[in-house]
Amino acid sequence: MAAAAAAAAAAGSGTPREEEGPGGEAAAPQPQAPTSAPGARLSRLPLARVKALVKADPDVTLAGQEAIFILARAAELFVETIAKDAYCCAQQGKRKTLQRRDLDNAIEAVDEFAFLEGTLD
Amino acid sequence: MAERPEDLNLPNAVITRIIKEALPDGVNISKEARSAISRAASVFVLYATSCANNFAMKGKRKTLNASDVLSAMEEMEFQRFVTPLKEALEAYRREQKGKKEASEQKKKDKDKKTDSEDQDKSRDEDNDEDEERLEEEEQNEEEELDN
Repeated sequence: MAAAAAAAAAAGSGTPREEEGPGGEAAAPQPQAPTSAPGARLSRLPLARVKALVKADPDVTLAGQEAIFILARAAELFVETIAKDAYCCAQQGKRKTLQRRDLDNAIEAVDEFAFLEGTLD
Repeated sequence: MAERPEDLNLPNAVITRIIKEALPDGVNISKEARSAISRAASVFVLYATSCANNFAMKGKRKTLNASDVLSAMEEMEFQRFVTPLKEALEAYRREQKGKKEASEQKKKDKDKKTDSEDQDKSRDEDNDEDEERLEEEEQNEEEELDN
């Protein structure tokens, strides 16, 4: 009787239940697992690094988690876009390897990439 | 440590994977081109942040939010990103909601469990007392029988 009560007490207070991840609030630098729908795949870029970039701006006070997430996703879309545009240039040269000059050409050719001029050297 | 903000690079492995998936099979990318794209992505984030921050300040807010970033995309002439970004945001919000509910549920379960265990403990103690009394009664009965 006494033994049973003691055992119950030990099981209850001893080990904690599954440990929750360190802070659901904080942006953990883990890659998100892809969901079933390809379009709904969440960001692969680590949110912590994106946050570091955002904080590097002296004018920025705070950034919400959603903002960081969208920036990460936008950066991914940007990488895809610029890679494809650069590839068009490589294709014209009948090459199968993207070179630095393909990128430079794309930056010059595409208006939206104008902000990159002079920043990659 | 970091000389300039652009030096805060995003991980090469992830950048490479994104590039490879965007391009047809069999296409390679030189190291210089890849690192240039990585750098460009960092510059992009910085530029987008600055743009988004302008919108936040216009709205007299100190915290960048999702709509600031979406407005920045339009400002930067990346309207084509807006729709996929909105979809991604919806999915993200659903996931966050699910996570929050899951952890709240876990917490509720944990509280419930410790409550019921406390009740069990006090019940056991009562039983012990009952059993002791029973034994005494049995002994008394035996004595009577013997007589």
